[in-house]
Formats: sequence, C-alpha cells, structure tokens
Amino acid sequence: MPPSVQTLDISPVGRVEGDLDVRVDIANGVVVDAWTQAELFRGFEVILRDKDAQAGLVVTPRACGICGASHLTCAAWALDTAWQTTVPRNAILARNLGQITESLQSIPRHHYGLFMIDYTNKNYARSKFYDEAVRRWAPFTGKHYEIGVTISGRPVEIYALFGGQWPHSSYMVPGGVMCAPTLTDVTRAWSVLEYFRRNWVEPVWLGCAMERYEEIRSCDDFLAWLDEKPEHANSDLGLYWRMSQDVGLDKFGRGHGRYFSWGYLPHEDKYNRPTIEGRAAAVIMKGGLYDGANDAHATMDQAATREDTARAWYDEPGGVHPFDRTTKPAMNNAVDYAGKYSWATAVRHAEAGRLEAGPLARQLVAGGPHGDASQHRDPLVLDMYRNLGGASVMLRHFARMHEVVKLYREAERALREFRLKDAWYQKPTERDGRGWGATEAVRGALCHWIDVQGGKIKNYQIIAPTTWNVGPRTDDGDRGPIEEALIGTPIANAQDPVEVGHVCRSYDSCLVCTVHAHDARSGRELARFRTA
Amino acid sequence: MANLLWLQGGACSGNTMSFLNAEEPSVCDLVTDFGINILWHPSLGMELGDSLKAMLKALVSGDTTLDVLVFEGTVVNAPNGTGAWNRFAGRPMKDWVKDLSRVAHHVVAIGDCASWGGIPAMAPNPSESVGLQFLKRNHGGYLGKDYRSRSGLPVINVPGCPAHPDWITQIVVAVATGRGGELALDEFQRPKTFFTSFTQTGCTRNMHFSYKVSATEFGQRKGCLFYDLGCRGPMTHSPCNRILWNRQSSKTRAGMPCLGCTEPEFPFLDLAPGTVFKTQTVMGVPKSMPAGIDRMAYVKLAATAKAVAPRWAEDDIFVV
Repeated sequence: MPPSVQTLDISPVGRVEGDLDVRVDIANGVVVDAWTQAELFRGFEVILRDKDAQAGLVVTPRACGICGASHLTCAAWALDTAWQTTVPRNAILARNLGQITESLQSIPRHHYGLFMIDYTNKNYARSKFYDEAVRRWAPFTGKHYEIGVTISGRPVEIYALFGGQWPHSSYMVPGGVMCAPTLTDVTRAWSVLEYFRRNWVEPVWLGCAMERYEEIRSCDDFLAWLDEKPEHANSDLGLYWRMSQDVGLDKFGRGHGRYFSWGYLPHEDKYNRPTIEGRAAAVIMKGGLYDGANDAHATMDQAATREDTARAWYDEPGGVHPFDRTTKPAMNNAVDYAGKYSWATAVRHAEAGRLEAGPLARQLVAGGPHGDASQHRDPLVLDMYRNLGGASVMLRHFARMHEVVKLYREAERALREFRLKDAWYQKPTERDGRGWGATEAVRGALCHWIDVQGGKIKNYQIIAPTTWNVGPRTDDGDRGPIEEALIGTPIANAQDPVEVGHVCRSYDSCLVCTVHAHDARSGRELARFRTA
Repeated sequence: MANLLWLQGGACSGNTMSFLNAEEPSVCDLVTDFGINILWHPSLGMELGDSLKAMLKALVSGDTTLDVLVFEGTVVNAPNGTGAWNRFAGRPMKDWVKDLSRVAHHVVAIGDCASWGGIPAMAPNPSESVGLQFLKRNHGGYLGKDYRSRSGLPVINVPGCPAHPDWITQIVVAVATGRGGELALDEFQRPKTFFTSFTQTGCTRNMHFSYKVSATEFGQRKGCLFYDLGCRGPMTHSPCNRILWNRQSSKTRAGMPCLGCTEPEFPFLDLAPGTVFKTQTVMGVPKSMPAGIDRMAYVKLAATAKAVAPRWAEDDIFVV
C-alpha cells in the first residue's frame, strides 16, 4: 500500500544560525513541497541592545565562526557609516584581504569537507566515475580530501598576519584597522598564497595554470577547455563537472530564479568617506539584482529589504525594514508547518520578492551590464546559466568554486597596493547615527544595520545569506529560496534521498544533514539517515 | 581505538573551524594515525550507519563505549528551562547532554561557551545559556559542581573564543590515549600546561610594556596595548604568544588588544558603553592590574619605568 505522498524530515541541516531542519513531501518520486526550519535561537540582536557602540566588533564575528571575518567587515563598515569616519586606503585593502582569505579558506574546506563527500554515496555507484570519486573524495581517506581539508588552513595564515588570528579577530575598527604590518608580513603572505596556488589551485583543482583558466569567458570556452587536455578533464574541476552531469546534478535545484548580491570589496580609493548611499558605486565586485525569467539586471538598495514574521517564531509585526524590527522571540516555538516553524525570518525585496543569495547570485550579477565600467565584470557563469537551462545543483556549486581564481587575484592586488609607510587608521569621532555595512561572505550577501543613540546601541540587526536562503514562507505564503529549489527534486531512493542533501548543500547550508523519512499518512518512519 | 562524539549546543562553529586549522596532527592525522574514531561531528562527514538517534541511544545505554564527549557551544535552557530553543535530533540538546554525560569516560568543553557560557550568556542571556560546569565564575553550570565523568575527572575546560587548534588536539590525544589522569587542572578546570602562563608571555610588545610606552591608538607598530587600548594580556591566562595562531601571529602581535577570552568573565563588563577597546582607569591608574600587582606597586613601577625608558623605546622598532 504505497502512499501517494511521503514526507521526509531532514533534521538537522546546516548550522549557520544553528540547526536547520527540512521537511519535504514526495509524490511519485519527486519533491512536491518543502519547509525549511532554523532550530536554534541565541539572540545576538537582543544581546547587543544597550551595549557599547563598538560591541558588534566583538560580538558579531562570534555569530558565525565560519564567516566571522565577513561579520567583522559588516560591523566595521556599519560603524564607519554611522560615525562618518575617514578610512585610509591601506585599511580598506587590509579589510578586503581579510575577507578574501576567509573565503579562500572556505572554498576547499566546504568543497572537500562537506560537498564532495556526497559523490562517494553508494547511490552513485552506477556512475563510471564512482571509483575515482571514492579514491579522491572519501572522508579522511580520500587522497584529495586530505589535501583539500589540510590546505584550507593556509589562506587564513594571511588573516593572522594582519588580524592576529582566524577565526574571531576584531582587527577591523571604525577608521581603519588595528594592524600596521611590515614588509615581512607582506612577503610571508605572498609565499602563503603561492603555496596555495602551487599545491592545490593549479595541480589539483584546475589541472592547468590560472592564466589558462582565466581565458575562459563563455560556456563554449569552458567545454573546449575541458576537452583540451586530459589534465583538464581529470582535474578535480573536470571530474566534478563530468560526474555531476553523469549523475544528473545539472537537472534539479533550480529555485525562484531571482538573485542578488550586495557587492563587495570596496575600492581603496573610492570608499574613504563611507556612506550608505555611496557604497554601491565604490565596490570592485558590483552588487545588483538578476531576474532570470526576464534575463534582466538591476541595482539593489538596502532600503528595499523587508522581513516577514508570520511564519517565524517572533511576536512582532512583519513586513518591516530591519531598522524597524524589535526582535521579540516567541516563548512557544512548537513546530507548526501551517503556522510558525522557524527562527529565520522570511526576508524579501519590497518589490522583487524572495531572492537567492550566494556565489551563484554573485556570478549572475557579475555578468550584467549594469554598474560602472570600472567594476568587475565576468560573463562566464551568466553564459552557462543561459546555455544550460538555468540554475542547478551543479551550476550553483560551480559558481562557488569559480571564484577561487578571482579572489586569489584580488589578494595579490591588495598585497601589491599596500603602502607600508602610510596610515592604517584615522581615529574617528564617536557620534550617534544610523549605519549599514555589507559584504559578500563566501556563502552570500551579509549585512548589519546599526542605530547608535546616546553612545550605545539602540538597535542592531543582522541579515545573513542563510536568512535569505533558508527563511520560511512569507506572510503571503511565498516559499523561501531553498524551499522553492527543492521542488521538483527527483528522489531515486526514498530510503536515502541524497538529492535533497545536494540541493541544501549547493546553497552551502553546510554541515550536518540527517534525514528522516516518513509515511505522510501514517506518520510511520520509513528511514532515517545522514546525507553528509 | 577511542570513540569520540562531538556535539554543538548554542554554538557558532568557531571552535570546529579552529580545530580544522590544525596541523601536526591535522584532523585527518587524528583519525588515521591516532586511531580516534569520530563517531559523529556536525561538520565532518563520517559514515553513520543506520541513524544518529540509534547511535546516540546505543551510547546512552552503554552498548557503545563513549570514550570522549566533546561539547562546543552553550547549554541552552530557554525558554523557561525547557531547552526548546535548541532542539537536536528531536529533543532539547540539554537532555542529550545530561544522558551522555552519565556514560562518557571523559567530557571536554571546547571554547568559552561550553566552558562557562561565553557570548550567548552575556546579559541579558536571552537563551538562558550556561556552560557545562560553570556559568561565568560560578561553579555548577549545567552538570553541577560535583559532576565527574566515568574517569573520575570533572569536565576538562579548554576555553578561548575560539580555542586554539593545538590546545584542542593535544588534549584530545592525551585523553584518547589514556593519559587524561596526568592532566593537571586549575581552579577553573583548565589544563595547567596551557593556562598558567599569561597571554603577555612572549608578546612582542613586552619591552614597551616594561618601559610604559603606550600604543595610544590603533595602527601603530610600537607601544603596549595595555595602557590605553584595554589589552588584558598581563592578567589573562593563555599561551597565545607561545603557541602562535595559524602558525603565524597573535592578536597582540598584530596590534589587537587581548580581550581576555580564556577567562570566565569574557566578554568583560558585558561590553557596557565606554568599555570596548578602552583601558578603564581611576585617577589615571588602570582598574585591572597586571596579575599580582597592587595599585601602589603599580604606580611606583610605572613612574620608574617612565623615568628610565631609553630613547629608542619611543621609536618604531618594527621597521617596515
């Protein structure tokens, strides 16, 4: 008596803001509905209330040990805009370098430690690439797993040279940075970068020089590169691409098809007098909106951010801008899929609705004609999106990995541009006001809003990429990005739906993913298992 | 082969991320060379077999030996002592911790949150968070001050926000190889081998401290961070300048004041207005003294130091 609909409870998935649980309904082997549910509340916004104006520099990196430098970046820029500081060019470069090295760390760590493990799942034993996948990517024993996880610790050595330690430094402060590096710090950073390139990026990941990879500007270029040499096809990138297609990861995980990025890496000569309004034009990597259905790019304004709370465990009105939030947690957090079921709010754009954040969003925005001609433009992923039929698990994760070479180049540029005898800090005047700081953490758009009154924090609000992506339904019932992306996912084996984990992890809802399979009618548990 | 289970409560994963930076031994070495069987960890992709819950139940029943329970993050009690704000595998995490602590041979708290509450327990502590055996300085915490694991040891606290990867790997290897009994713990149950010396021990700014040359604002190569910028290096117990961070540096070397994050009071003064990155003083004398120094002695020492300071001390000795 097979039921027409089965329900899978995935508990927990991800840990950016704590435990993430996912429930999916399956009919005829395909996901037909989904609910994503954040399961931990620590209350950072509540803690920050009435604290020192600079408390966010200490507290917010500790909101997430994975993206701590990104939180610090937001906390510092938010205060810079509120206090109307002047930030020396060296300090902008040093902040950017911290942001970049955290992302360079995360790229191999997430790829090998979290994402590729799924490719060694026995459900893929039918693939002709399976044996090689196990040899390379099996946890702890895979040849490239060990290389990738171990080398992921190297880029943040550069962070330590400028910030003291990673994770959890607070070296970015309003008016600049705390450090004043010497030439040996810069040269040592160069050698760490070189090590990363010579021992992983080129020999293991690309199978070619970075310069050759940088010639790839279109989907056709990429496919030609793949066939050009066995070293390319057999690199970890080549094998990732070929096996992903072989097991069908290019066929699901589509999502809403609307994307955004805050942009990141302020230019060292363009954001020395930071303002909320001036940021968009000052960043090297431009922000913006991309609407896949209409193939249209637009600019993105923080003022359009709205948070809905009808389906989240908060006792406060929804539909408001973060400056108007009060963050009142509900005392009763019982799970009610028809009502409230998550600690994440449902974030949306006032006009454009639900938006996907993340590396894919960044690269789709990077391909657009909008913005200033001096800003970074990269057509590759947008061209792939157009030619491969939109988003998929494969393309979303490819976009994350694609950034490694670009970020490497920006790290080199920062090291070249430092003027060691110039200032690193200009002491600001503390004052009241409102500020906003943003960046792109490796897993997507992150920003902080601060309201300083009487020298202390009146309101502090954080919206993380995971808030955008794992949020529950809006007040109007519109699904969150991951909820939407799960729709249509084929489940080959309901006892082991590795596909659901793939979709979640393509959004970098990192870490653990335990799946509970239920008969939707009887509630009888069918299976329970991990997919990561 | 030692079975190790790593769980996270009210956590940010910072200690896990720190742990993954380890080399010699790396995380892979721990498994392949030291025979540590990581039964489960929220971010490391080990095979789990049938299910997490079944495995947890086998541990609780004693069918599977739990040699080491590592806990990262606070024990969340909210709302109203129920723990429902931090559910894990179908029930409050605190209930799992209670059950597992009864069967664990060793319990290791990694980071401030698990040791004594850390940032989430900061006022007003909305998640009603506590550490495993302390809340700030108060002995007790979630498990109570009399708690002992099967080995007879209390919770071993490896604090820090985050803890250094080497502190974590060394303690895990010691415990997993049966040498936990040789660990000497201090009054806060920290391994004395790491937490007897001071953060200042080995700081490159020590000469400036001695001659009372201050870094008066950020972005300066010379000068000690204690006098004006709120550095807690002289009264914080940690080996941050003996065992460098990310094999390269430390916060104080890079110009960032120590926040005292290996001590139970972190974050100090609950980051009240006016206290962040500013030395708190009374009549020009710091309120928090270097360990073991009284105010009168400090005033004499400072006056002498200032008087004898050589001329080079005011110059930039860390030349570009």
